[in-house]
This record gives sequence, structure tokens and C-alpha cells, in this order.
Amino acid sequence: MKYKIHAMAALWLAALPALGQNSSQWMLVQSALTYHVSSPVHQVNGASHEAKGKGVCQDGQCNFLVAAPVKSFDSGDSNRDLHMLEATRGAQDPMVVVRAKFSEAELQQSTIYADLEVQFAGQTQRYSHVAFQRQWQGNEMRITGSVPSTCSDFKFERPSFLGLLISNDIPVRVDATWKQM
Amino acid sequence: MVLKLFKSMTGVSVLLFALLVPQVSPAQSSAPNTFPTSGSQASQNSPAAPSKQKPSPSSSSLPSAPQPAQSQQEPSLQDLGFGQSQMQANPALQARLNKRTEMLKIHQRLGIITLAPMVAALITGPTVKVKGKDGQILKVPSSTNLDFHAALGSATAALYFASAYYGELAPRIPGEKKRGAIRTHVALAFIHGPGMILTPILGALAFNQEQNGEKVHGIASAHGAVATVTALAYGASIVAVAWPIHLKFWEK
Repeated sequence: MKYKIHAMAALWLAALPALGQNSSQWMLVQSALTYHVSSPVHQVNGASHEAKGKGVCQDGQCNFLVAAPVKSFDSGDSNRDLHMLEATRGAQDPMVVVRAKFSEAELQQSTIYADLEVQFAGQTQRYSHVAFQRQWQGNEMRITGSVPSTCSDFKFERPSFLGLLISNDIPVRVDATWKQM
Repeated sequence: MVLKLFKSMTGVSVLLFALLVPQVSPAQSSAPNTFPTSGSQASQNSPAAPSKQKPSPSSSSLPSAPQPAQSQQEPSLQDLGFGQSQMQANPALQARLNKRTEMLKIHQRLGIITLAPMVAALITGPTVKVKGKDGQILKVPSSTNLDFHAALGSATAALYFASAYYGELAPRIPGEKKRGAIRTHVALAFIHGPGMILTPILGALAFNQEQNGEKVHGIASAHGAVATVTALAYGASIVAVAWPIHLKFWEK
């Protein structure tokens, strides 16, 4: 009898931390990451639909990770894509990796402010307090927003065409649909 | 008696184990965190203007490099299921891409420079044969105009073939499938390429005929038409690779 009581108490104590953690996991089910490049004679968008991602919310903090192969970005012109791959050192550093941190409470808000760490072209750049819009679509969560990245952030030479340099700004539009696991 | 003591000790040991478990969890979640949280920094910035921090000088956290130890709640790149080949650096391919870009940049520069003598040759072309009052072809001033046009034509051909050399010999990338405007650019080369071979040949024939005091005749009389088609295809080829063009000079 005494053994049973001890065992029950042990089980309760073991279960307590799990109850307090209230963790959730998210999986990226659909995404479009689109960079925008502009020059005086060009406006170009290149999109990747091959990103993979995972999110974990635990102890009131969410950590989301999204990664995509650099070569998966498609601007509709293979020559331009290969040049982008060269300029961004995409064969040497083949992945663009984004880590996002935000408070779990923000999942209930329509706007999520996340701190981002972006690894790209052999460089790591951090962006604080980036706004993303959140929408529920059934049991899936759609996140949209833009990462205000620039060429100089990642220290790659700005490509030019007909002698005209592209703009330093290369914002990346994020459209990601997440499903809770 | 021994059995009772054993049962009691087992119960105590299970209880002790259960008490230890919660102490393990916080220790794991408080692992060193290299990524700043949205605490004080977030409150300092306005929502409309995301701020940036200085890029990390360290390259140890590159995707291709081994990942640092992460806390249990942070997903890792390995969790995402990318193949090793996708994440592995390929210096040979990067070198190939660099070489390709370098050669194509020269191709582009020479190609644009070629436009100048090409346009000039097109302009000077009609001046080498001026009709007189009696309808006869005159050379006014005969040799100067002809020589100048021939020189422009030669310069065009030399620059064109130099540009073509860099375009053709730029390294191909394995698995590359041409998509988009580059296909039109390449397709048009099948017009201006033969045109650039044919035009000087026809020009030389026409030049010889003129030098012999003959009226340009036969296949040589197609020199002007072939040159015009070649120049149009060449111009279209440059526009094609630049397409779509959005003129926005007011934007930086």
C-alpha cells in the first residue's frame, strides 16, 4: 500500500513539469519567399517554394526556423538565377536560414513582432522587431511579412546591368503557412 | 521484513528520481543562447522600422558549418530534413559560377561596345553608293566613304566575334536548363551569328565590284539587307536579355 502511494506521488511529481511547460510545435506546410531586386531599368522578383520550417513554442517563448536552398529561388530567367547564385556565393553557402524568436503570447495577436537571425551568403545578420501579419486559415496559421534585407547586410557585391547597379535594398517577402503538430 | 524494507526503499528511490527530473529540464532550457531575444531591443524600436544589428563577424554559424549546441526548444537545421547534398558547400561550383560571370561580363561589355561601330556602319552604308543625275552609281567621295564603312564593318565583326567567344566559352553549369529571356537571346544568335559571317563576305564582294568600277550585282547586292537584318536581330538580342525593362530612374 505504502509503495503504491509513493509510486503515485512520483508519477504526479514527474508529470508536473510537463503540465507547466505548455509547449507546441509547428510545421511549415506551404511557403513563398520572394526577394525583390530593383535597378533603374529592372524590377525583378525571385521566389522559392522549397523552404522547410519548424517552430517550437515552450515556456512562453517561440523559436521558429525556416531554411531554403539559395538555388531554389526562381526569377523566371535561368541566366539571372545563376548570376544571383554567383553573386550571393550560393554554391559556397547553399542555404539561407532564418531563425525567428518571439513571445508565445504574440501568437494570439494579429501582428507578431519577431527578432530574426538570418544566415545568408556566409554572413549572419540580425533584425529586431520585424512585423509579421498572422491570419488563421482553418487550423493553419498564415504568416506574411517582409524582411528588410540589403546587399550590404550580407557583404556581397551589388550586381549591375548595362552599367547600372541594382538597389542596395533586397527585401524578402515571406508568406508562410504553418500547421500545429 | 526484508521485503517490506526493499519495497519502502524502492518507493523512496522513485520519489527521489521524480524530484530530480524537473531540475534537469530548466538546466537544458537555460543553455547559452547566441540569439538575442525581443526584450530590451524590441522595446527600443518602433514597430514600423525594424532595426538591424551588426553582422556577426564569426562564420562558425554558417549553414554548412557544424551547428553549435542548441537548447532543446530551438529547432535545428537537421530537423528540417534537407539532404546533405543540399546543405554542403560546393567550392568547385562556386569557382565555376565566378568564372562564368566573369566571362559573361566581358561578353556583355564587348557586346554593347559592338553596337557603336555596328550602328555607324549601318549609317555610313548607304553613303557609299550615291546615285548621280544620270542614275549612275557615284562614289562621293568614293574611296574615303568605302574605306570608312569597311573599317567600321571590320571593327564590328572583330568586336562581335570577341564577344561571341566569351559568351560561347563561358563555363556551362551542370543541370542548367535555359528559362526565360535568355532563350530568346540565344535563339536570336542563330540569326545574327550567320548574319555576321555573311555580311562581311558580301561586303567584300560588293567592295571588289565597286573597286572594279562595276555596279554591285548578284549575291553581293544583298549585303545591305543582310546587314540590316543582322543588326536588328542583334539589337533585339540585347533587348531580350534585358527584358522586361521598367524605366524607373527616379528610384535609387
